[in-house]
Amino acid sequence: MANATLSYDVLVVGAGIAGLQASLDLADQGRKVLLVEKQPSIGGRMINLSKVFPTLDCASCITTPRMASVAHHPNIDTRTFAELKGLRREDGRFRATLRQKARFVDGARCIGCRSCEEACPVLVPDEYEHGLGARKAIRIPFTNAIPQLALLDMDHCTLCGLCARACPTDCIDFLQKDADTEVEAGAVILATGHELTRMDAKPHYGGARLPNVLSPMQAERLLAPHGAYGRVLRPSDGRIPDSIAYVQCAGSRDRSLGVPYCSRVCCMFAAKQAMLLSGSLPTADITIYYMDIRAFGKGYEQFVANARAMGIHFVKAKVARVTEDADHNPVVRLERQEDRGLPEEVTHDLVVLSLGMLPGADPVLEDFAGVRAAPDGFLESPQAPLAPARTSQPGVFAAGTATGPKDIVDSITEAGSAAMEAVGFLRRLGEGRP
Amino acid sequence: MNGTGRPGDNQLGESTGDVRVGVYVCHCGGNISDVVDVKALAGLMAEYPHVAVAKEYPFMCSDPGQEIILEDIRANRVNRVVVASCSPTLHETTFRRALQRGGLNPYLYEHVNIREQVSWVHKDDHAAATRKALALVRAGVEKATRLDPLEALRVKAERRVAVIGGGPAGMSAALALAGAGLPVDLFEKGPALGGRLLEMGRVFPTGEEATALARRLAEDVAAQGSIRVHLGGEITRVDGYVGNFEVRVEEGGSQARVKAGALVLATGFDHYLPGAGEFGSGDAARVATLPEFQKALGSLPAGKVLRWRGREIRHLAFLHCVGSRQAEGLNPPQADGKVNDYCSRVCCTAALHAASQVLDRFPGTQVYDCHKDIRTYGRGHEAYYEDAAKKGALFFRYAEDALPEYLPASGLLPARLKFRDVLTWMEEVEVPADLLVLATGVVPRAIKGLVESLKLPVGADRFLQEAHPKLRPVEVANNGIFLAGTCQAPMTLDEACAAAGAAAAKAAQLLSQAEISLDPFVVELKAERCTGCGKCLEECSYSGALKLVDRPLAGLGATPPGPEGLSAAVIAVNEALCKGCGACVAVCEPRALELAGWHLDQFEAMAGAIAAS
Repeated sequence: MANATLSYDVLVVGAGIAGLQASLDLADQGRKVLLVEKQPSIGGRMINLSKVFPTLDCASCITTPRMASVAHHPNIDTRTFAELKGLRREDGRFRATLRQKARFVDGARCIGCRSCEEACPVLVPDEYEHGLGARKAIRIPFTNAIPQLALLDMDHCTLCGLCARACPTDCIDFLQKDADTEVEAGAVILATGHELTRMDAKPHYGGARLPNVLSPMQAERLLAPHGAYGRVLRPSDGRIPDSIAYVQCAGSRDRSLGVPYCSRVCCMFAAKQAMLLSGSLPTADITIYYMDIRAFGKGYEQFVANARAMGIHFVKAKVARVTEDADHNPVVRLERQEDRGLPEEVTHDLVVLSLGMLPGADPVLEDFAGVRAAPDGFLESPQAPLAPARTSQPGVFAAGTATGPKDIVDSITEAGSAAMEAVGFLRRLGEGRP
Repeated sequence: MNGTGRPGDNQLGESTGDVRVGVYVCHCGGNISDVVDVKALAGLMAEYPHVAVAKEYPFMCSDPGQEIILEDIRANRVNRVVVASCSPTLHETTFRRALQRGGLNPYLYEHVNIREQVSWVHKDDHAAATRKALALVRAGVEKATRLDPLEALRVKAERRVAVIGGGPAGMSAALALAGAGLPVDLFEKGPALGGRLLEMGRVFPTGEEATALARRLAEDVAAQGSIRVHLGGEITRVDGYVGNFEVRVEEGGSQARVKAGALVLATGFDHYLPGAGEFGSGDAARVATLPEFQKALGSLPAGKVLRWRGREIRHLAFLHCVGSRQAEGLNPPQADGKVNDYCSRVCCTAALHAASQVLDRFPGTQVYDCHKDIRTYGRGHEAYYEDAAKKGALFFRYAEDALPEYLPASGLLPARLKFRDVLTWMEEVEVPADLLVLATGVVPRAIKGLVESLKLPVGADRFLQEAHPKLRPVEVANNGIFLAGTCQAPMTLDEACAAAGAAAAKAAQLLSQAEISLDPFVVELKAERCTGCGKCLEECSYSGALKLVDRPLAGLGATPPGPEGLSAAVIAVNEALCKGCGACVAVCEPRALELAGWHLDQFEAMAGAIAAS
């Protein structure tokens, strides 16, 4: 056991929708895959969404079957809560160091019964609900998480021992340590995803400071029927909002943030959230302050037309700042470009900042076998436009938002193309001409 | 296969005759449970005949949800499963697979849709929605008790892929497939590989020569011994079914036939052609389409001012959304009576790429850009917008409620484009245009023959329609046919190449085994009842699925026994071609035809349960 290094055809890093799809596309062709995810569950950002454009399918309905297929696939091994700590090329193959972070729970014995979670007396803000709800210090990350294993947050644990006493299989291990293992693979797919602009990146928009200025992920959780509140309420006082505004490009197309590019999805998620809000709150007034509406995908233009027809106000305006009044109502200062262009202030009950996409991983910092990033921070794809999945290193391919902002549809197709690149590379490797 | 749908005929219940149905009601997060009283529904179903267990859960499709079913199969001897959740399009196969993992025949499963058919459409009356859900779930249970185990059909597959279209997407798909070890036939009707790349100038965002890219791909294709390239041939017919397609192509006067297990369609797009007089088109000296302009731009010698067809162009105007984002009642309809209401995705960046080249090479030419929205969304695209703005292009945003008007040159006045400009508070503006470039959109290539012979699904936008944008983004509803590139929707070059890779991945998965398994919901024949009347043939829309064959008369029940050696016509079914639509069943008076998994007595029982509710 100690010396045997596990060997795979392809190492896939990141188990969001792109990583899941790439893994399935490889495994269904008989390739052995190791899928590594740093979060405690597979599913990525998509499993955290309420519904998705342009079909308004619930995100869980699209993601969970793929998660389950990956979990049960005989050709896929999955490691969650594990980080890639260095990737090297050795003798034409890749060698990766994986750090299994301590769950403080013995994964082989945990049955996911949640007795520990019920027993735990410590409540902390829930990351899965983006701070809108609370979770226990020990918990299953979310209802449809895979694997269904408890996870103890040692930063907040008081070591009271109630969970250990409640556990029927005696699987809680307060002394568990991070453990490094080595694996080997013929090719690598980086599906390392993206981060969102920090809420406080543009302080004059009031993010992270004003209680009724939300991130789009918080808005997703407000809209998810199984979300934090189970309905749309505003955080400061639990009131049902009557007037909601979206500030577009709050993190993209903005040189002051070092993000000159368009994040591609924000127009559409704002239109989608606006439609869902209008469904939950039929009398609410919903306004989207935008620079350009970029509804470029298949069926997107028609989707935005439907949003307009539902009465969502699309206002071409640049928002200068967001403050609040004495009742925590956000006050938006803006210049309306379709009117006389004079600055004005509009008071809303709730404001959502349409944050942009930032790179999820720095390949140099994280030592990914010499893979380079482009000046925008996302992985470089030097052979785009013909082979967009190739990175600067042969044998290392990229899928999804690792190479720049992308919506779910584009991430899924790109994952298929990355999988085929890996298959082709492995075959050439097998024939001695890499 | 078993012709009669008696309860108790399955592998687990066979010896005991004991039908034990498990009923699972999904909350779908809240999509269902916010409207339907799922607890009451499960409670009532627990009392229903043959139901062994009835449960509800937030997400039945999730892993823990599926685990509940597996546990009941193990511990509670459940041998029929009914899940009441979303549309079967989404998750029927998910649950069939779960049954299989639990050791149950996957066809002892019935899916009841209480989301699209109940909770989403009856939001305002929770009690009535719950009653309707109950009726539908009862019907599902009635059907489940009458289900038989079925075996998936096995079809031998030709280990070869036919790729139709030799543009960048077709070549990329062919290369990916060859890279995975699959032989490929690549069909291009033109005289050379390259497709639209052959008629483009420089591509964004790298600025490479399109023809050089085409050459590189074509060289890679030529270097692959496993790709057979068919140039200049006209495809006359494609038929067959998954695993066994046949492409007939006329090449240099002779007919060739190619057998393939899967088809990749990379038939590409056409540029939108403006109608006569649309924004001045027809005035070739003063109005050009963006593709024409792009193609010529590379070979125009640099200078102070751009020269076009012998004229100095001091004022160059780009007009966006010509043939795209059209509005009914505003734009004249296309040939089929509809307008192109979609966005063509590539024209904004292409126009600004051209504008930025003009500003670089002809500093004396003033560029005007008239748009609805600027959609430079992709990696590196925004840079062209910024660059053009920095170099002095003037941007106007025309009001969407009226079409810009092209005013031809008259007397001393140059040609102009007239519209109301949103950015100057609806001021009426006339932009001088020595040359007007129409940023024409992308329309699907006319492939009527293929669409008809393969019965391909076409969307409202006339592009080929994928089965589901996220679950099956490069597949059509027809098995074994995959979409690569702009036959599906407007795409940039890199997006089309990525889609080609995804299509190749699906074809490679399909052909990774020698046999393909298909759902067994096809017509079953009780030959002894068939009178050979042939009415079913008239109803069948899938050519070859049914045909009349001669059978020896002896032993045929429905016709009087005849002398030895005589024969009578009876129907024969090709299971691989049958789509299970059931049209033939409806016209078969002697009830010789039944659809496996959808027997008439099952329908009767379902209707009975609904009527009784």
